[in-house]
Amino acid sequence: MSDKIKDIIVSVLFVAIIVSTFIINIAIKDSDVSTSERRKLAQFPKINLDSISSGELSDTVEEYAMDQFFLRDEFRSIKSFIKLDILRQKDNNELFIIDNNIYKMEYPLDENSVMNITNKINNIYEKYLSDEAKVFYTIVPDKNYYLDSNLMYLKLDYRRLENIMKENINSNIKYINIFDELSSNDYYRTDTHWKQENITKVAEKIANEMGFLNRITLDFEKKEYSGFYGAYYGQLVKKVEPDNIYYLTNSIIDNAKTFNYETNKEGSVYDISKADSSMDKYDLFLSGATPIIQIRNENSTIDKELIIFRDSFGSSIAPLFTEAYSKIILIDIRYISTDLLSKYVEFNNTQDVLFLYSTLVINESGALK
Amino acid sequence: MVFSSLTFIFYFLPIVLILYYIVPNKFKNIILFLSSLAFYFFAEPKFGILMIVSILSTYIHGILMDKHKEHKKIITISSVIISLSFLVFFKYTDFIIENVNMLFNGEFDLLNLALPIGISFYTFKMISYIVDVYKNKVKPQKSFLKLATYVSLFPQLMAGPIVRYSTIEKELDDREYTFSKFSNGVRRFIIGLSKKVLIADVLGDLISSFNMASEKTVLFYWIYAVAITLQIYFDFSGYSDMAIGLGKMFGFNFPENFNYPYISRSVTDFWRRWHITLGTWFRDYVYIPLGGNRVGKIKWLRNILIVWMLTGLWHGAAWNFILWGLLYGVLLVIEKLGLLKILEKIPAFLSRIYVMFVVIIGFVIFSGEGVEQILENIGGLFGIGVDKLTNAESMYYLVNYASIFVISILASTPILKNIVKKLKEKIPRIINIFEPLALSLLLIICVSYLVDGSFSPFLYFRF
Repeated sequence: MSDKIKDIIVSVLFVAIIVSTFIINIAIKDSDVSTSERRKLAQFPKINLDSISSGELSDTVEEYAMDQFFLRDEFRSIKSFIKLDILRQKDNNELFIIDNNIYKMEYPLDENSVMNITNKINNIYEKYLSDEAKVFYTIVPDKNYYLDSNLMYLKLDYRRLENIMKENINSNIKYINIFDELSSNDYYRTDTHWKQENITKVAEKIANEMGFLNRITLDFEKKEYSGFYGAYYGQLVKKVEPDNIYYLTNSIIDNAKTFNYETNKEGSVYDISKADSSMDKYDLFLSGATPIIQIRNENSTIDKELIIFRDSFGSSIAPLFTEAYSKIILIDIRYISTDLLSKYVEFNNTQDVLFLYSTLVINESGALK
Repeated sequence: MVFSSLTFIFYFLPIVLILYYIVPNKFKNIILFLSSLAFYFFAEPKFGILMIVSILSTYIHGILMDKHKEHKKIITISSVIISLSFLVFFKYTDFIIENVNMLFNGEFDLLNLALPIGISFYTFKMISYIVDVYKNKVKPQKSFLKLATYVSLFPQLMAGPIVRYSTIEKELDDREYTFSKFSNGVRRFIIGLSKKVLIADVLGDLISSFNMASEKTVLFYWIYAVAITLQIYFDFSGYSDMAIGLGKMFGFNFPENFNYPYISRSVTDFWRRWHITLGTWFRDYVYIPLGGNRVGKIKWLRNILIVWMLTGLWHGAAWNFILWGLLYGVLLVIEKLGLLKILEKIPAFLSRIYVMFVVIIGFVIFSGEGVEQILENIGGLFGIGVDKLTNAESMYYLVNYASIFVISILASTPILKNIVKKLKEKIPRIINIFEPLALSLLLIICVSYLVDGSFSPFLYFRF
């Protein structure tokens, strides 16, 4: 090819690429959400005098251009491929794959955040609970904890995290250590959460420490719900085998009813209709994120209540405790202020209380209200 | 708007290119001026008027100089003072207040003024124009549109190169359009985009990780220092490449701004290769008018130190920039007094180590915020105030960014360019087939990074 022809090809190709991309981006319909990333996508900003004069318009238009770019996921997968497979970088947006298992680096330890959640727990204890109540807390390790240290990936200083909480939490709140009850296989490969079918050991340990092991059989039937691509899958955009979501049930769980304080609606422990319509199939467990939800054991002969202050990990373990209580109330203080709790929940000294938080929330506890 | 944004590449640029090439030649400057205004207003709506007022002032002074040749000195001084006063007011007022408060225990309130993007660049362009008119090097521009097009020309509006009016005076009237020039522009633009998106921004992530590190080690301080040195180069030279490339697409020939500065064998050589248009601007409009080196030794030393203090100050209203400029001023004096001869005699690798050591320390000073942080970052390089030589965190980032370091170090030398040049001599047809493919691939990879990335303005926008 002569220089002249090459120059023509380079010039025409460049103009063709940028003009056709411009036309395609204008022509294609904007999407509201990214299913793979599980988030709302930026829409074309409203143009007014304020947005123009503040200079915000250029930022919001660029966000729109990034979010609505045609073949967006394909381009993101190219970046993932270049970073991980060509440049051999160890992570892409802090995500990486080890043995077909996607991890997200959680690092470094934010000691202020650990103190923040510890203080929140202490405040709740002082405000709503008394010395007679049986109160416990447990820390759910993120799956990086089980990652081979020789791989060099950075992890939280889990011992330091534990120690900060132990040293600063109210001494009436007992710690239940579940770190040794789990392994990396107990988490979904493409998601942050643990698999419900693998955490009966954890449930047993908690039941034992809290003194209700004698009230549950932990006898469940394992049912398959569906194939599952977790949150990490969409963020990394690399080909990984999908997970399967299974759920554990028995006649007690089947008969139990839930009551969602936000929607004022009754439902079932495993909300298949919600999960079917949701971007996140993990919403199967107690209908996903919500401020307060109650599990009512309809046929219970035990007059005992459990209150769990929890994050999303609590959604899949709480059903396993149904047999032992007449009522389990799950409170997520990421979505409701701790000051408002007495409006919705009656605290008394006979309830068991468990604070169950993952290291992911403990290390980023700014969202707790 | 920044060149390395999807908005620019896939919205602004195609529209402007189509409009530019479909209108007759006599309307091309109008398209360029209007699109430059849109480009500037989109990023900096508040200060667009300021730029137009500055251009108008320079234009009127140029016309006045033509009509009142007997007063051309006072007209030139007036124009320079007006242009500089805008720059000084927006860029240096708070710095002056801070220092006055510090020196005299004053309590003057800071004005907290935002810095208009590109003001340092377009002010210098206007000064060069008016001084060149004064020296009869160029004729005053009678057309406001042409002068405004020169100053506001979007490819070089926000971060240079500082194109002299004399360089593109003829091209403002008559430009040549060829496929060879356009494709050369495309190549420069994509290479510049790759430097910015695939190297500078990626190293920016590493620098953010360093700033957030739980424990800094000697190794991590060095990783940071090398990363910031490479980041600044690839960010700024990437912008210059894109500017030069865009200039070619619109028929202009802008001067080069970088010439592989990291292979320099002396600091003198480094400043002939780094931000060339700024260095030559200070040489022609400050150093030589002060007498340059054709004065006594004391005055010559004074001239050098003034120029380098101003060079530092031009980069920002903070002591770290002045310190950075003076460091180079002092080293240039030392080199001129004899070190240069020694550097020429010793093995090349030793002189290059000396230059890179100076440059790395220089950029640690340059990028530090406050004296305390600068001392901490320099001390950290030599184990002062640091407990460990290395740790797991430092090693992780070293391994994670190893390939980026190798590529960026290689790309900061002419090795790749020379290989391609030699291959082109031996197998021109194959290289010609390879070039469009390689450029398309680079563009696709850059887009994939931009689509997945976060917004990242160029470092030199703040100057």
